[in-house]
Amino acid sequence: MTQTRTIIIECLRFHPETDEAPYYQSYEVPFTAEMSVLEGLQYIKDHLDGTLTFRWSCRMAICGSCGCMVNNEPVLSCQTFLRDYHPSRIRVEPLAHFPILRDLTIDQTDFLAKLESVHPYLIPSADDDPGDQPRNQTPDQIQDYLGYAQCINCLLCYAACPQYGLNEAFTGPAALALLHRYNADSRDAGKAQRMDVINAEEGVWGCTLVGECSEVCPKHVDPARAINQNKIVSTQDYFLRFLKPRGRR
Amino acid sequence: MKPRSHEPIFWSLFGGGGMLAALVGPILVLIVGLLVPMGMGFGPDAMGYEQMRALLGHPLVGFGLAILIALFFFHAAHRILHTLHDLGVHATPRLKQICYGSAVGGSALAVLVALVLVVRA
Amino acid sequence: MNPPRTYTRGMQRWWLRRPSYQFYLLREGTSVVIALYGVFLLMGMAALAVGPGAFEAWRAVLFSPLSWLLHLVVLAAFTFHAWTWFKVLPLTVPPFKTRRFPRGFSDATLNRMALWAWGVVSLVILVAALRGLQ
Repeated sequence: MTQTRTIIIECLRFHPETDEAPYYQSYEVPFTAEMSVLEGLQYIKDHLDGTLTFRWSCRMAICGSCGCMVNNEPVLSCQTFLRDYHPSRIRVEPLAHFPILRDLTIDQTDFLAKLESVHPYLIPSADDDPGDQPRNQTPDQIQDYLGYAQCINCLLCYAACPQYGLNEAFTGPAALALLHRYNADSRDAGKAQRMDVINAEEGVWGCTLVGECSEVCPKHVDPARAINQNKIVSTQDYFLRFLKPRGRR
Repeated sequence: MKPRSHEPIFWSLFGGGGMLAALVGPILVLIVGLLVPMGMGFGPDAMGYEQMRALLGHPLVGFGLAILIALFFFHAAHRILHTLHDLGVHATPRLKQICYGSAVGGSALAVLVALVLVVRA
Repeated sequence: MNPPRTYTRGMQRWWLRRPSYQFYLLREGTSVVIALYGVFLLMGMAALAVGPGAFEAWRAVLFSPLSWLLHLVVLAAFTFHAWTWFKVLPLTVPPFKTRRFPRGFSDATLNRMALWAWGVVSLVILVAALRGLQ
């Protein structure tokens, strides 16, 4: 299967030094059956137009760099294949809802701040130091968080979430899923520190369960579940705090 | 530290209303709106005044229906408010007051009517 | 160093971008029908409290062909609401783990349990109505 066909790739272009607004530019790209959209973009950069800017690294769907919109669908361009679109043309755009830095690259600053805000690391309790010993977990304890730990920060879920697009303050799917990943870990004791992120208007309450975050996730992380489980957690915390002793609310 | 959202109150009411609307809504609409008026399985005098008066005079039925209606209102108020936001109408405090205010008003009215029906049964 | 100039795209008519967004708005839209149906039931209750004349007027509306047609739409909206509600319900219920089911239940099982509950509740109400409302 080395038969070469041609597909038209339409890219959104934007160079901040020269362009007032983004525009589309079409390229005719020869491709073979095993070529991904990312390889199509690389062909453009190497042979047709060296000014096209896009991010990529691993080419095997684990680094999370090459996310983009292909025909309005947020995908990893390395595991999306040109053959599945031919003979139609494809339209490649930067991930939706994010500011465009240059061509297909987006500005992730906002997400990185949110990721930091959820304390995405194990916070052990002070009296729980295993010393040199390994900290064992049962298979069930691992299953509690393993799915959420698969996140590669590719941001497809943010590009699929209209609530993030409508309100940039929303903490968003990946950050909240990672918050839940650490809360669900038996080795972690940092729930209290993450509670105000959950409880905020911009926390789990920014979600209206459109559900698309879980649909587009290439690693099947299921942020929609993480967020909606924590709506229950937040609701319990909201009402039960009145039963807690003073000073601990 | 971000302020705590009061959404749990409204979300709980939304959830309760949504659950009841899902569990009993379709059959209620089917019986009251279609089967009884079309006379399918029901006689022509079904849901007559005397019969309904006696039925809703029972506190369990009267207040039960009032609570069902109230939760329908809170369910809808919550979703409508958020959908307006989705459609580009920002949820200002005033809009929130209108949405949840109507739900509170409608619920109060439903409970009041149920009270009249039960007390004067 | 100044942050680079970026371009932010708008959310104009975002629901046209994916069919699932339209499905979502349709799901949320059922709430308008639910609110209106609540108002209609409340009017019936109020008419009942006012007296036989008012209630017969409300009942006459209910028995009109236009009402049948509208109630078909209302039934469709409620059924769509119920179907989608039970579909996403497993995402929201906390996983209840028992000794026999240490991993809790799958979404499909929870969804099936909810649909069964829906069916049983509906059947009980239907039988009660068939017996009581003659």
